[in-house]
Amino acid sequence: MSVVVRPSPKGARGPASVGGAPPRRISNPRRRWTNASRSGLLFVLPAALYVLVFQLAPVLYGLILSFTKYSPLSRSGPTPIGVENYARLLTDADFGNSLLVTGRYVAQVLPITVAAALGLALLVNRPFRGVGFFRSALYVPHIVSLTAVSMVWLWIYSQNGLINEILGILGLPRQSWLLDQDTALNAASVMRIWMALGSNMVLLLAGLQSIPKELYEAGRVDGAGAWGLFRYVTLPGLRPMLVYVVAMDIIFLAQGFAEIYVLTQGGPLGSTTTVNYLIYTQAFQYNQLGYASAMAFVLFAFIAGFSLLSIRGLMGRQK
Amino acid sequence: MQAMKRHRLFTGTVTIAAVSAFVLAGCAGPTAGSGTSPGAVPTEGGKISVWFPGTDPTEIALVTKKIVPNFEKATGAQVSVTYVDWSNISTKLNAAFAAGTAPDVFGHGPAAVADFVTNKRVEPLTNYIQQLSEKDRSDMSSALQGGQVNGVQYLVPLSMQGSLIMYNAADFTAAGLDPNKPPTTWEGVRAAAKQLTKRDASGAITRSGLLLPSQPIGRQQTFAALLLSNGGTQLNKEQTAAAFDSQQGVAALDYFTSLFNGPDAVSAGLGANYINTPTAQQPIVLGTASMEFQTPNGMQQIVAANPKMDLRVMMPPKFEGADKGYAMGGAGPGLMINADSKHKALAWKFIQYMIAPDTSVEYTQGIGAVPPRSSAAETSYVKNSPILKAFVKAAPQFVPNPNVPGWVQIRDTMDKFLEQALNKKMSSKDALTQAAAAVDKILKANG
Repeated sequence: MSVVVRPSPKGARGPASVGGAPPRRISNPRRRWTNASRSGLLFVLPAALYVLVFQLAPVLYGLILSFTKYSPLSRSGPTPIGVENYARLLTDADFGNSLLVTGRYVAQVLPITVAAALGLALLVNRPFRGVGFFRSALYVPHIVSLTAVSMVWLWIYSQNGLINEILGILGLPRQSWLLDQDTALNAASVMRIWMALGSNMVLLLAGLQSIPKELYEAGRVDGAGAWGLFRYVTLPGLRPMLVYVVAMDIIFLAQGFAEIYVLTQGGPLGSTTTVNYLIYTQAFQYNQLGYASAMAFVLFAFIAGFSLLSIRGLMGRQK
Repeated sequence: MQAMKRHRLFTGTVTIAAVSAFVLAGCAGPTAGSGTSPGAVPTEGGKISVWFPGTDPTEIALVTKKIVPNFEKATGAQVSVTYVDWSNISTKLNAAFAAGTAPDVFGHGPAAVADFVTNKRVEPLTNYIQQLSEKDRSDMSSALQGGQVNGVQYLVPLSMQGSLIMYNAADFTAAGLDPNKPPTTWEGVRAAAKQLTKRDASGAITRSGLLLPSQPIGRQQTFAALLLSNGGTQLNKEQTAAAFDSQQGVAALDYFTSLFNGPDAVSAGLGANYINTPTAQQPIVLGTASMEFQTPNGMQQIVAANPKMDLRVMMPPKFEGADKGYAMGGAGPGLMINADSKHKALAWKFIQYMIAPDTSVEYTQGIGAVPPRSSAAETSYVKNSPILKAFVKAAPQFVPNPNVPGWVQIRDTMDKFLEQALNKKMSSKDALTQAAAAVDKILKANG
């Protein structure tokens, strides 16, 4: 690393240039922290400390807790137990089930929400009357609290809720959407798709608008039709944004909690118990913070693994 | 260069140590309390913090605008009151205990007491209770029992709780049943429910003859009530092992399961949480149920909102051959003193004020609960309410859940297997056998 040394205003000693000569580069390490770098460090320090204290330190502490037995009520503090928590996870049927539920939840929400959001983004990526209202209306669900949205959907799905009232009017039998093992997770998924649609659409719309128009014109000159333009211009141009959307959706969906807590509390018969919901019960209902931390780090490993796989899968094709 | 490296290393080490100390400071727990004896701290003046569970605006207004200001006026003390919603009270208390910032006095349900006791977080109150008059102790004896762990008082209940069957007298009459002679056995309740149940052309139930709670937590309480009314118990006498996997337990669970399943089912909506729905959406109000389990508060709200309906309360039924019918209940939420509080005398003074006869009636009347004192039966609040009269009459038949460490996990474990049986995924016997094995493990792990 080298630094630029400005002329000394008083012509004092030092490596300052004389007579307006261009500044010369030096590589004296003692000078590194004297000027711009020190100022830069000071500017970065508050944010760096924030990340260190409030984000990295708790994560590190959580990792340490995962190797301990710890109840926050206990006066003795965490007791180290090695990898016992992780070994226990291997035979915990509830944890295995929650991983499957979480995987199914991600698998059934992700493709639909990305495909539907892409369709909507293509639809609103053209000028027509009311396009602004349409875009805003689709984005609104994303800015409302997930818990509040879940409360509304709890009523929609209830025995006397909107959907059953409509079924009643149509002369169809009412359904127990959230009380049936076969429909509960699907019902939660529908709500999550509706919720995620707007934000994904906005991101993909931004991606669409960053694709140079010249590429479409060139494609048309070469005789490409609508499908050809989509296949060979839109999709490759949208790939970076698609990668981002898919990765972020995996991260958020795999951490599904609020909607499960409000809609089903993990039931019926554990059919909607996601890993995050299980972590909540272990940590805050049963005070087993060490075991819950181990669950959290296994979930973290799964999320990181699948996110990397999806990124490599999508970006790999680009190569 | 070496000096600079050492300087950097030192600076880095100090920074990491400082940051770690700062972060971990919030995780360190305080040392055990000194166990101040009652009356050691002057009660004139002083300041205490109190956490109440709940979000009921009526209760919050009553406590913060009337009861606490009156206490402050009478004692010259300052009381800082915080209401924490039920779903977060355990989490926030745990965090506060870990950080050493827990309040002097806090409220919770009896099910949580044993865990606080195991971790020495709450002050034993037996000595304080002994200082009450004999009359007071006798007046509150039913309630106080529910706040004890191994015979030691830790929680002082502010109200009684429980559930009884509420029934629609008009439905009884229309079905040819006598509303003045409601069934006294669970077999009789089942037979009445069969007559009260209505179905549509497809055979689907449109009006449940009987609705018992079958949602999470609710189903464990329903099962426990049926088990007790059949002569069984949830744990053994020493509270060291599960005892619900008995013949009585299997019969009770078979009964519960049969209500929702088969051609003779009398209940619809397995797993639905009707108890917490708004008054206007209660099944008995909508006409989709003729009998339902309800809390005193819920019943009073239903009756107040539907004065034209003839709604009555049934005493806890028993199974044929059993001695007595029981219902889950007993001591309701109450107050405990933090073992680390530096103001224990003032904290006790506050609890004493809350359970004083006048304050107790004022508080329970304000929140629509059953008073913890048996003498409250003579107050106009109870005398003028047929519902409260019924609950006070049934008070000796209310039985609380066992106060053992790890109870919440035990309850949820039982709940999980009960759900399997209710959904016919396994037989009652298998569900209870497996639940008992899992519960025994939890009891063992919690010492």
